[in-house]
Amino acid sequence: MEASQSQASANAALNPHPNPNSNYTNNSNSILSSTPVWPTIDGPLGLSEEESLSYARRFYKFGYALLPFLWAVNCFYFWPVLRHSRSFPRLRPCDRRLLAPKSAPCALEYVVSSAIGFSVFSVILSSWALTFAIGGEHLFGSTWDQLVMYNVADRLGLTGWS
Amino acid sequence: MAQNQRPKSLLDSLGEEIIRILTPVSICMLLVVLLVSILNSSSSLSVTSSIATIAYSETGSDSSWDKFIGALLNSLVFVAVVTVATFILVLFFYLKCSKFLKIYMGFSSFVVLGFMGGEIALFLIEEFSVPVDCITFLVLLFNFAVIGVLAVFMSKMPIIVTQGYLVLIGMLVAYWFTLLPEWTTWVLLVAMALYDLAAVLLPVGPLRLLVELAMSRDEDIPALVYEARPVTHHDSASRPVQTRIWRERQNARLDSEDSSSLNSDLNSTVSIVQSSHNGARIARVEEGQVSQRDAELSAPLIDHRMDAQDGMSTESLMLEGMGLGSSGAIKLGLGDFIFYSVLVGRAAMYDFMTVYACYLAIVAGLGITLMLLALYQKALPALPVSIALGVLFYFLTRFLLEVFIVQCSLNLLMF
Repeated sequence: MEASQSQASANAALNPHPNPNSNYTNNSNSILSSTPVWPTIDGPLGLSEEESLSYARRFYKFGYALLPFLWAVNCFYFWPVLRHSRSFPRLRPCDRRLLAPKSAPCALEYVVSSAIGFSVFSVILSSWALTFAIGGEHLFGSTWDQLVMYNVADRLGLTGWS
Repeated sequence: MAQNQRPKSLLDSLGEEIIRILTPVSICMLLVVLLVSILNSSSSLSVTSSIATIAYSETGSDSSWDKFIGALLNSLVFVAVVTVATFILVLFFYLKCSKFLKIYMGFSSFVVLGFMGGEIALFLIEEFSVPVDCITFLVLLFNFAVIGVLAVFMSKMPIIVTQGYLVLIGMLVAYWFTLLPEWTTWVLLVAMALYDLAAVLLPVGPLRLLVELAMSRDEDIPALVYEARPVTHHDSASRPVQTRIWRERQNARLDSEDSSSLNSDLNSTVSIVQSSHNGARIARVEEGQVSQRDAELSAPLIDHRMDAQDGMSTESLMLEGMGLGSSGAIKLGLGDFIFYSVLVGRAAMYDFMTVYACYLAIVAGLGITLMLLALYQKALPALPVSIALGVLFYFLTRFLLEVFIVQCSLNLLMF
């Protein structure tokens, strides 16, 4: 298909090299050739630096509405930020010079807090769920039957639609 | 830095684009087949009453001709409702109620993910007697539904999360459709394929009107559209290989859109002309559920949801149809996922032989549609070819191939 091949040659001419938002790690360390340019896991398809702060903050704040998985999504989404800050320890306190001159927290702090929140939540939930599942009737007595899901579904007639 | 790679051949880039759209379709079909084979092991004779069976409820004792006429009536009613819904959607879009429609769409997809996802999870829990308690279940379900809504409609999320949720929504709605009676399902599939053909290609079709409206206003339409990740080379991080030009609007915006287009997988430009089935379909699904459970709520909800759904569907749900997104990636509407999976799920209710045959037929149809897409460079309906091949192969397999294979196996000749 000629169309796509001519497109390929046009790519080189037309393509803006994806570095309008240089990550703070990029300029500082030329040894590492694999420094990320983009703060999100989607790479060039994801967010830019300016947007990522607002998204990180939004994900973090909404996670408090009983949405711990939003914290997990936050960590997953900004994984390059998490990963590469560890290899650059001097950036861990979130070098504020290079970001907005205000004293607003940077994206890294939100992501780290989300990670902590999600791990705390998952510990609590899994311990409860495992206690429930493994303990069974021995531990809970008659309330086990009241709490277990398939009985609840039967009682409320939730599966009666088919 | 210098790249010393051999230039990617056409096969690499083209093949990869096709694979990136075939994989989610196949995953959706596989999930529906799994669900059907796990949950429908006992042949359920009970019929869910819903809008799709409003004209006629199939019972086991009717003659074939009665069943066929009944199924035809059902399908005609359904297609008529979808057409009306799409036109209402076009009207809404014309009156610029996008914000309201978007919020409503988010709400109804939350209901779909929450309620239908919850129901199917409950079926699975009962099937396998998983000892999960209701608190854990509710928390997980709530999280699942809310993040699904966010991923699909509201905000930017990791692309894989968005794609995964779209596939899950397709799977849930498709599973619901497989619960319809058999004759109704087949006639409905054919009817929807014909409707799709008409709505996308005819100049008076609602989807075409919608696309032209959107283009004339140069508005973005959030869509329940699966957009494959664009194929990128090492150097060019923003432009995929496939040509994306299919309308003059995109022509004009090509240069400026280079970097921003990739961030628009949710707000994709109107390159896929779509029917509003999905929106309307989800409305039907919800109506059906509601009318079964809670008659008094159904009346206000129906009006409410139809608007929202329809509004959403034109804007958001580009269902049966394919096109090239503004980033050049292939887009496939969610309705295509749903109806392909319905076909394969219904084939799974008979035997796995028909599943294999129908899967191959659908993939072949999808390939043909992709070729036509590359040829004509405009939005095309993705249903007709695949559904035609799928239905044809289902009946051929069921009535001709199976007899042959079974006889050969029984006589230890082959297979």
